[in-house]
Amino acid sequence: MHYIANRLLSVAFTLLLISLITFLVTNILPGDVAMVIMGTQSNPEALAGLRESLGLNDPLIAQYGRWITGILTGDWGRSLVFKEAIGPLIADKVVASALIVVMSMCIALAAAIPLGIWAAVHRDKWQDNAASTTALFGVSLPDFFWGIMLILLFARYLGWLPSSGFVHPADDFVAAVRHAFLPSLALGLGLMAHLTRMTRSTMSSILSQEFIRVARAKGLTERTVIWRYALANAIGPVMTVAGLQVGYLFGSIIVIESLFNFTGMGWLTYQALLNRDIPLIQSTVFVIAAVVMLTNLVVDLLYAAVDPRIKLP
Amino acid sequence: MRGFLTAKGIIGGGIVVIVLLTALFAPLLIPDTWATQMDMRARLSGPTLAHPLGTDQLGRDLMYRMLLGAQTSIMIAGTAVLMSLVIGLPLGVISGYFGGWIDNVLMRLVDTLLAFPALLLALTISAVLGPNLTNTIIAIGIAFTPYLARIIRGEALRVAQMPYVEAARAVGTPDTLMIIRHVLPNIMPPVIVQVTISLAFAILAEAGLSFLGLGTQPPDASWGLMIQASRDFLDVAPLTALVPGAAVAITVLGLNMFGDVLRDVLDPRTQ
Amino acid sequence: MKRRDFLKTTTALMGGLAITGTGIGVAHADGHATPVSGGTLIWGHSETTQNLDMHQTGTASTGRLLQNVHESIVTTDKDLNVVPNLASSFEVSQDGLTYTFNLRDDVMFHTGAKMTSADVKYSFERCADPATGATNFEVFNAVESIDTPDDLTVIVNLSTVNAPFLSRLAENGAGVVMPMGSGDTQGDMPVGAGPFKFVRREFGNEVELERFDDYFDGPAYLDKIISREITEPTVRLTGLRTGELHMINDIPLDRMAEFEGNDDFQTVSWFPLNFDFVNFNHDFEPFKDARVRQAFDLMLDKETLMLGALWGQGTTSASPSFPTSASYNGDISQRGQDFERARALLAEAGYAPGELKVVFKVTTNYPYHVDSAQIMLEWFRQGGVDMTIEQLTWSDWLSQVWVDKDFQVTMMNFFTLWEPDFLYYSLYHSTGGFNYRKISEPALDEMLEKARITTDSAARMDIYKDVQTYINENTLDVILWFRNGTIGAQPNVMGLDTVVQPNGSEMNFHKVWLKDA
Repeated sequence: MHYIANRLLSVAFTLLLISLITFLVTNILPGDVAMVIMGTQSNPEALAGLRESLGLNDPLIAQYGRWITGILTGDWGRSLVFKEAIGPLIADKVVASALIVVMSMCIALAAAIPLGIWAAVHRDKWQDNAASTTALFGVSLPDFFWGIMLILLFARYLGWLPSSGFVHPADDFVAAVRHAFLPSLALGLGLMAHLTRMTRSTMSSILSQEFIRVARAKGLTERTVIWRYALANAIGPVMTVAGLQVGYLFGSIIVIESLFNFTGMGWLTYQALLNRDIPLIQSTVFVIAAVVMLTNLVVDLLYAAVDPRIKLP
Repeated sequence: MRGFLTAKGIIGGGIVVIVLLTALFAPLLIPDTWATQMDMRARLSGPTLAHPLGTDQLGRDLMYRMLLGAQTSIMIAGTAVLMSLVIGLPLGVISGYFGGWIDNVLMRLVDTLLAFPALLLALTISAVLGPNLTNTIIAIGIAFTPYLARIIRGEALRVAQMPYVEAARAVGTPDTLMIIRHVLPNIMPPVIVQVTISLAFAILAEAGLSFLGLGTQPPDASWGLMIQASRDFLDVAPLTALVPGAAVAITVLGLNMFGDVLRDVLDPRTQ
Repeated sequence: MKRRDFLKTTTALMGGLAITGTGIGVAHADGHATPVSGGTLIWGHSETTQNLDMHQTGTASTGRLLQNVHESIVTTDKDLNVVPNLASSFEVSQDGLTYTFNLRDDVMFHTGAKMTSADVKYSFERCADPATGATNFEVFNAVESIDTPDDLTVIVNLSTVNAPFLSRLAENGAGVVMPMGSGDTQGDMPVGAGPFKFVRREFGNEVELERFDDYFDGPAYLDKIISREITEPTVRLTGLRTGELHMINDIPLDRMAEFEGNDDFQTVSWFPLNFDFVNFNHDFEPFKDARVRQAFDLMLDKETLMLGALWGQGTTSASPSFPTSASYNGDISQRGQDFERARALLAEAGYAPGELKVVFKVTTNYPYHVDSAQIMLEWFRQGGVDMTIEQLTWSDWLSQVWVDKDFQVTMMNFFTLWEPDFLYYSLYHSTGGFNYRKISEPALDEMLEKARITTDSAARMDIYKDVQTYINENTLDVILWFRNGTIGAQPNVMGLDTVVQPNGSEMNFHKVWLKDA
């Protein structure tokens, strides 16, 4: 348990650092939320009144104190531009992002595992090259470019899927998945490359191990050897890499969600940044960093539980 | 060096060389005005004799813009990665070589930065500094630093624990000499591989930032900016997106393939 | 623009909006179609709504939606005359200092309460209170007191004459009447007396409005309006094409031609939605010299620029006055492109070719501004100016250009401000609230101050015509054009001609209905 306690402690410390960095960086952002609220109608007197009522004139320390106490006590404040309570707003948007993160992960794994195995089995043959080149293509185009192409193909020309918007899974599950499909696919294509590569290298090292040779010698079919024995051993490391990609995904959703008008965390963060909505930027950036951090922690702990080399005394 | 002579090595290396040559020589051979010349009678046109790859919404030649854009993209990506290397290398080496509390403090900081997705970090920095060419480079450079520092630290740690290095330290060889003579040469192969891969990511990051309007500024041609501008004209003039998109794809593909091959050749451990 | 063409366009506007497409135009002309109640209209709205408080919000997008939720005390007819609305009649005293409003006694709020004079007093005082942060609070600057002798009478006493006061109240921003005490909740739950009730907002995603059966002007036809906020133009178009949306506003400019020729959709285009102009910072040394400003003006070919950036979806104009309003000065004209004269003027002012280095700040909020800047850049360079472009996000533009006035050349648009005092005093008076160009022309200040206290309408309009001549002659800004507004809709959406309000920027769905509802 010592390992876990240690990890948790360092996570708590890192979260504190994250909050500090987030707060400081957002406070040196140029621009002024009071102005965004008023738009081209602003004038000095009205601006001054608004700034005062928004608490923008208080010293930094006081603002940080207020913010961090709020975060800890569950009072996340209100968005300055949109007037909505931040806590519920984020809770709502996290669901949307979780949906496409999970879906893109499923899509990527569904493509990467067979492709990776195929490449590993035919190592250094044309199949290997074909598989890795296919995967590389996925990662070589910006995901927003894939997004644009997918909108054109599936929404504009074929008309199979909606091109934009988010539907809450609790309202209509089928519609939710249909709306999330194209953004997930755009994200999944980029993710696939890493996972294919990982599957390939893990599988090829496992396939060259003793127990596989024994299994083959016993006369088991090649299919059984690969899918029953080798894959069972490869799945752990592959899932670990998949878990670590969550951070990458949370970076990509900013662009993809904006493109698909998919109103999740990425979209919210971009809106907040564009509007200099400081409390909202602080909270969204903090939540994204915390989610990435905690996913990594869970992956580590799971890995430790599975891998006997890391002891959990 | 046989690894370079595979199909992958030849294609990957070939693409990298061609892109680099384009970035270097296109600006010398193609007058700037060819890429900014507007032709209002031929807006969003398909391929014609005058414009082999079509034109954009202001009637500017897509081929020239794509060729000149190579310089912008490569320059930004290259400088940004160089910057992250300049910061990341000392950080990583010091951390890995000395270990102890220095390592602890530095890596805690790096871990914290790693929790921010690179694009989010770059976006925020770019918003803080204001969008222009230099700031785009700084934003991408800072965002990539923790990744490089992490990898370099791992390599430095490995080298520092090698028996001969420990032996040399035991006889009192000064640390600076140790680092220059033993650590740096030994960590170079994986670092070079990582730099190549980072270049590919930096090109994508620049495209992403420009796509969101926080990167390169018009009328300079950059691939990301071209894709951004194409968004509204996509279904009537798909070439406006396909031309810069293909340029990004081919370059990144080439860098990735080349990186793979480099890894096979220089760093066979991580097959 | 030539006066005659202009009149043609104006006639089209006055005779109802230009409508093309199937069904609708014919149906209305024949008078066959009888409106039916029911149905939900799904509208692809081009922008994300922000703070929903009508007093505080400064964005046109939010106002466009709230137009359906709120009503103002007076309003305008299509000729922009102030006419009764929530007040059934109004009087202005001889000295121009006392305004008396007689309220209708059948106005209900969405809360179920009946509107009284106390609500009007509450709303006006809330708007005037600097603590509210209302964008239009200066409308009430001259207000000394508001009396409510009975439930249906409101008397507003001014300390000094403010000729535009009544006109300003015709816009929701200042003239809106909210139920008493509702101020604190208006930001996320607006309530008013309009034809539709606000139901919910799924932030950034959609807003739901529901018919208000007790609306004083008769209930609307639609059961509900779902406004989907889709900022990406391509995505909005795709939504209309696939039938996900009934209607979208702001068809991308380059697509209008394609849509107008398509019988599967109705398109409405009207003029003007807004005007655009190029601004000089009058505090930047070179631009203190009118010759330099004029030289820049002479480098621009406005018609080509309009074709290039707006794809022809606009009309060039030398005056920013609302084209059909009495203050419009049709006698001034734009300067044609003349590089020779431009270079000569620059030389006269002491700048050799390439000597003048200028940064053009432009906001990405309006993609056609970025295109415009790129086109202009070529001309400016041709004219011997060393110019670069800096793209700014909306909030950066506001902070650098609008507030800090840190710019050299920029470009902006304004929704057509049909009330000339609002337009010219705010934009061109040296103390004007919108004077971000640091314009300081004593002669102009004098004219604008005089107009404010001129109660004779015709005399007041003549002053504004002189103001336009002054702006034009001294090239205080380069006025470019009025941009068209556009709506695209499915064939079953009826009553589209009633959607756009006289000011050209707001949309109201009171009389819209669905054929197959």
